[in-house]
Amino acid sequence: MKRRGRGIGCMWYPIGFTVTANPSSAVVKVNEDGTATVLTGTVETGQGSLTVLGQIAAETLGIAADDVHVVSADTDVTPMDMGAIASRTTYVTGNAIRLAAENAMAILFEVAGPMLQVKPSQLEARDRRIQVKGFPQRSVMIGEVANRAQVTLGQPPIGSASWNPPTVAMDPETGQGKPFNTYVYATQIAEVEVDDETGEVEIIRIVAAHDCGSPINPTLVEGQVEGGIAQGIGFALQEEILFDGKGLQINSNLTNYIMPTTLDLPEIVVDIVNSYDPTGPFGAKGVGEPSLVPTAAAILNAVHDAVGVRITSLPATSEKILTAIKAKRAADQKQISA
Amino acid sequence: MADEPKVLERERPVVDEALLRANTDQNLPAVARRESVPDTLVPQARQQTGAVGQRVTRTDARQHGLGQTRYIDDLSLPRMLYARIKRAGIASARIKRIDTSAAEAMPGVMAVLVGSEIPVNSFGPMLQDQPVLADPIVRHAGDGVAAVAAVTEQIANEALEKIVVEYEPLPAVFDPVEAMRDDAHKVHAPASNIYISKVIRKGDVAKGFAKSDHVFEGRFSTQMVEHAPIEPHAAIADWDANGRLTVWATNGRITLARSDLARTLMLPLNRIRAIGTIVGGSFGGKNEISQEPVLALLSKKTGRPVKGVFTRTEEFIATTTRHPFVMEYKTGVTKDGRILARSVQLTLDGGAYCSWTETALGKACILAAGPYRIDNIHCEARAIYTNKTMAGAFRGFGAPQVCFAYESQMDDIAKALGIDPLEIRLRNVFAEGSPSPTGQVLHSVVVKESLLQAAARFGWEARS
Repeated sequence: MKRRGRGIGCMWYPIGFTVTANPSSAVVKVNEDGTATVLTGTVETGQGSLTVLGQIAAETLGIAADDVHVVSADTDVTPMDMGAIASRTTYVTGNAIRLAAENAMAILFEVAGPMLQVKPSQLEARDRRIQVKGFPQRSVMIGEVANRAQVTLGQPPIGSASWNPPTVAMDPETGQGKPFNTYVYATQIAEVEVDDETGEVEIIRIVAAHDCGSPINPTLVEGQVEGGIAQGIGFALQEEILFDGKGLQINSNLTNYIMPTTLDLPEIVVDIVNSYDPTGPFGAKGVGEPSLVPTAAAILNAVHDAVGVRITSLPATSEKILTAIKAKRAADQKQISA
Repeated sequence: MADEPKVLERERPVVDEALLRANTDQNLPAVARRESVPDTLVPQARQQTGAVGQRVTRTDARQHGLGQTRYIDDLSLPRMLYARIKRAGIASARIKRIDTSAAEAMPGVMAVLVGSEIPVNSFGPMLQDQPVLADPIVRHAGDGVAAVAAVTEQIANEALEKIVVEYEPLPAVFDPVEAMRDDAHKVHAPASNIYISKVIRKGDVAKGFAKSDHVFEGRFSTQMVEHAPIEPHAAIADWDANGRLTVWATNGRITLARSDLARTLMLPLNRIRAIGTIVGGSFGGKNEISQEPVLALLSKKTGRPVKGVFTRTEEFIATTTRHPFVMEYKTGVTKDGRILARSVQLTLDGGAYCSWTETALGKACILAAGPYRIDNIHCEARAIYTNKTMAGAFRGFGAPQVCFAYESQMDDIAKALGIDPLEIRLRNVFAEGSPSPTGQVLHSVVVKESLLQAAARFGWEARS
């Protein structure tokens, strides 16, 4: 008989390296036409991070995402960056890019001030223009300012900056300290159907509510969470590297190491929790790793809810679940007959 | 009205006919045919200012969609050679002799490399305990023992078969609990197999348990998992006539990859150019160098660029994995479900080399008590060497393992006390300003909101 169950997995997760310095650096160049080029030492590993970083630069410069080109991952060209690890790219590299763009912008404000006859501090950048704060009608195109800065005044609007999340070392005896500058939080709830005659688990749906600070690009956040859940399902139910008695792997191929495919995925609902972290770029934190952290917990709690067995070792294969169901039945029988 | 077409005319880009044809063949909209897109009053997300928060299309989406993204295996340099690495196939041994003469004599084989030829034959992000090629101790079956560069991949594969390695088998240990015993085989003899440990202590757990109405104990364990990115580890090394090395690599951290290359090859940093190509999935598995020094030295020997692409089997046996955990949880609660004390013991199977274990261990230890306000915490974690594939960075760094344990136990507690699983979490979770297990005051805490939002979307209703 198929039995339904539901389970919650709730988690917290840090952004950036544990205590260790993990700076990112960036260079932002505003071109003579008001478009911009960003240099970053991070690497696109499939998450869409370069798109997000371009959006952060665009927002700071008051231009559109399409106006920004991001150059990445070449040690001869791009400045130092600790890389695509520890869910740190949006938060740490994003802050470096925001600061670098602000530095480039400061040059443009210096140039635009006399053009608009106000102090540079009274200016803001938006809609591809530099304008007097609150007076969009008193404005000049960023391209015009950038061109003047470079061609007339000989001050190319280039900004560079580094950022490193502040931490405090942990006491070796007690572990007390501030290992990270910020954390994210998330809850996933799974609904499953367990066949109590075979131990097979079908995941019906997973609802995920993730905090990533303010999302820079909601579509990419949802993509990360959906991908993380897929990976979490494999961790919960299927994947395991097996060894023989001599320490040789026996399933080192994708035929015998079973991973979930798109056909195994349930309905996934992703919600982004309303959140703003003042230490992140435009309130953003991160989402890369946390996306799979609570998945296995939610699924295994749902299995427990469905058939009343607690699987304590992953992966929860059908065999393990069926064995546990049989053991529970036998124990229940004993109790009745006793 | 009369002026409008002129404006449009000016904005219309010059259409590249060849590009248009190529796109017609693929039955996809042309890149340059902006004129075919109807003018809309609302600009697309990419064109709008106020970029943050917008659902901007990925800058690489079109190339991915058209299959035009160039991964390393799509790249080729003139006179490029192909490298393959011979894997030990034995978990614990001393190499007595390597005979590469038959391989070197093969037509098409341009160079062979063994561990003794590597200037500094060790690497690792925390402990430099991993050899680039094993010499002379093999510590897990996926260790590389020799490498070949040949004009084709087929010849390189055949040459590996001709390399004869004579091993003296050594004792081995595969179970982390066994490996902790004094008489266990030492993977990195004479050092202990327990190579990193960490403690977090807050309040007084003994007092906390004494005050608790109920104490729950549980033992949980997790397995070894592979990242399995679609694109395997791949790199091209080109050691040019000026003695300058360029490496294209599937590496998520080029700044540190360059440092690691400089160390293993004894080169100044300015003589190395590390280029991170578009990576076809990392999930933490591509956070350190692997075959790059081997390819670099083969390129130096031959004066030609050398490419290496791992097979799927190598992805499993010769790259890092997720740490298997054994977790002992003991939790004391009041009868209304408030957690008063939690003690946790974590044992991580690190495999043969340290890699990113210190980070996984540290994060697991810090996060082990869960997102809950608990005054009395004691968490101890240790990492153990075994003669298995090394564990390293993997999306979550130990967090999915401890989350499985603390959330499983949370539901066990809820059930035993007759409290709804959502409700027991709401009673315990962090709030803005809560102290963490390391005594850090937490800010921008929205864990309660995430619980309530997920519950609302799911349609969670408490059962009586």
